[in-house]
Amino acid sequence: MGLKTSFSGVSLPPQKVSNPAIEDAPLPKRVVLPLGQNGNRVCKPVVEVGEQVKTGQLIGQSDDFLVAPVHSSISGTITAIRPWFDLSGNEMLSVIVESDGNDSWLEEIRADEGFSDKEAAQLLTDLKAAGVVEIGPPSMPLHAKFATPEPSKEARFLVGIPQTKPVDTVIINGIDAEPGMAAKGAVLTKYSSEIADGIRILQKLIGSAQIVLAVNSNGSVSSPLSGELAGLSVQVFRGKDKYPLGLNPILIKCVTGREIPLPDGNEQDIGVAVVDAATLVHLVEAVRDLKPQVEKVVSISGAGITAVKNFRVRLGTLVQDLIEQQTGLKGEPVKVIAGGAMTGVALLSTDIPVSKETDALIFQTATEAKSFSPDACINCGLCVRHCPSRLLPNELSKYCEFSMFEEARARFLLHCIECGICAYVCPEKRPMLHLMRYGKRELSLA
Amino acid sequence: MEKAISLDKPMLRVSVAPHIQQKITTSHLMYNTLIALVPALLAGIYFFGFASLKLALICMATAVACEAGMKGVMGRKLTIINGSSLVLGLLFALICSPEVPWWTAVVGTAMAVILGSEIYGGLGNNPFNAVLVGWAVARISFTEQMTTWIMPEPLFGLEAGGYIEYPPLDVIRVDGVETLVDLPWLDLFIGNVPGTIGTVCVAAVLIGGIYLLARRIITWHIPVSFLASAWLFGLIFWLIDPEVYANPTIYLLSGWMVLGAFFLATDKGTVPVTAPGMIIFGIGCGLITMIIRYWGGFVDGVAFAILLMNALTPLLDRVRPRVYGRVKQVA
Repeated sequence: MGLKTSFSGVSLPPQKVSNPAIEDAPLPKRVVLPLGQNGNRVCKPVVEVGEQVKTGQLIGQSDDFLVAPVHSSISGTITAIRPWFDLSGNEMLSVIVESDGNDSWLEEIRADEGFSDKEAAQLLTDLKAAGVVEIGPPSMPLHAKFATPEPSKEARFLVGIPQTKPVDTVIINGIDAEPGMAAKGAVLTKYSSEIADGIRILQKLIGSAQIVLAVNSNGSVSSPLSGELAGLSVQVFRGKDKYPLGLNPILIKCVTGREIPLPDGNEQDIGVAVVDAATLVHLVEAVRDLKPQVEKVVSISGAGITAVKNFRVRLGTLVQDLIEQQTGLKGEPVKVIAGGAMTGVALLSTDIPVSKETDALIFQTATEAKSFSPDACINCGLCVRHCPSRLLPNELSKYCEFSMFEEARARFLLHCIECGICAYVCPEKRPMLHLMRYGKRELSLA
Repeated sequence: MEKAISLDKPMLRVSVAPHIQQKITTSHLMYNTLIALVPALLAGIYFFGFASLKLALICMATAVACEAGMKGVMGRKLTIINGSSLVLGLLFALICSPEVPWWTAVVGTAMAVILGSEIYGGLGNNPFNAVLVGWAVARISFTEQMTTWIMPEPLFGLEAGGYIEYPPLDVIRVDGVETLVDLPWLDLFIGNVPGTIGTVCVAAVLIGGIYLLARRIITWHIPVSFLASAWLFGLIFWLIDPEVYANPTIYLLSGWMVLGAFFLATDKGTVPVTAPGMIIFGIGCGLITMIIRYWGGFVDGVAFAILLMNALTPLLDRVRPRVYGRVKQVA
């Protein structure tokens, strides 16, 4: 299965990936577990300071449909429940657990119940209880992609019009989109039986949906996975080596030919659900083993690490602790990026924990870290040539720079998918993506 | 509320994504354009002697000095290093006759830098092609100096092409099509004819243009649509009445046509950036050039065609493909 449509974009420098594909990071002495994923939606803690917890024990939950419960990722003592910085530098209520070094799990976990006789409703309940989060963007609890939410207040007036299209295509995103990311390809190789189980579970969840597995153009389906996939009704989509194919809006367009209606729409409006390959493994563990999500495969690169390494890291491990385990680091990192090199977030401090949204960490030394320039746009049109959304980023960046936000909205600012290509190609090194996000933020506040 | 993280510790650098950048800079674009112009300059030196080189150096020095002066007067950051003034100066020299006196070239280049570019804020913010603005000032103010032609005298090898005393376009305009018999096509192509320094040798200009395309400094849209529309327009009239209108290929190989299509009509900032906009721009340039050459008051229409189309650029940027995710609003 090939691309249904072409798109503008850019070829990014290739990267090496080290073998073995996934290593286990050592057990952290302490974890910081934020009680929420998106903004104001936060769980309530169900534990108290001083309490003993086991690995996988529930420590926070919420009635909100869009909030995933939080589980302890190590066993030990809760030393504090207090605000801590999350990835984007906002303070979020977090639970801090000191390890007892035993990593003793709750007994009902690793029950290996199997899933073959479970109904779809039971599968969703298990999935919600395990707190599996789809990395996105936008990051959201995975169960919310497959369950029908309560209709909104406005929607109740529109009687007879179906609010969301039923999901007819599920895309498993196995494409490592950006430099610094290698987790998905490694997961596809190492957890091939889980991927196959995940496809079976998805078929149970959404019976009629077509399932598409999207893989890198070079990473052909490896032998254990192709063996597992035999006999399953799944289509394999081979991408090409061009960014931003791995980003959801473009991936959906290339696989199905449909576009997400912007600015307000999302993938559910066009009947598509995208599941990250690494998240799919957590889904299988949640449903089959009743194991909550307490780990995340994180790719680590930069600062002397030429080949990207993948680690299975306990959630809540501080980035500082990960740095100390790294022997290959050359020089002090001055910039730490959570996520890929094109769309990742630069961290404020190394005391920030790995969360369910972290799939890569890039360390940059002073020579590797780039900076932007305040110079004027020269209208060379390189950004226009490469924009996958077919926008005019040169013009939009100027509107945002001079606070002409309504003009920018009229020129489709809100259709920007924030891939970062315009800032990557800009010969004047203007902070294009920053200006776009600034404009979007101002418009959302107006 | 107690602070999450002690701010005493040295903080990391934060910036927005992306965290990698392509190596291409403005200087890269400009110096590649300069390299692409070298064959045309060498051809000019070959056919018209070292006076051509002298004129080019004078223009480039004037352009750099004027930019530095204007940046100083306006209190702006000096950006000489990016090479845009060198490109501007060299392009100005290449579209001058080798007989142009040095003071005319200095005035024209200064007008190009000051009136054409710097008062709008410099590179990329000028509405009209700065080189052509300067040229237009010089051409209208110093008509006699700007339209004095000399015969090519190749430094070695070739015999001087002595069959016409004026640039080919002037010959067609003044003497009529019937004088064009036994055309020396090769001389037209390699530039063994009277004309401006950098435009007579179509072969050298083409090498530079193909270099720009290969290095992806420019895209094919404008040059191809420019040349194709001019040739097709000429073909139609040639088929209608070959007694009055010359073979369209002569028009491609004479005057500024090729240099205009590859270098002047692709000037950053004064041309559209969307693909359909660029194609319309190129077609417009081609048609207006031919209209001026057939019926206009000037012999070569390239400069005014490009200046006219520059004025339409903001409008042409509105011609664009549908953006991702745009749906019709359900009222």
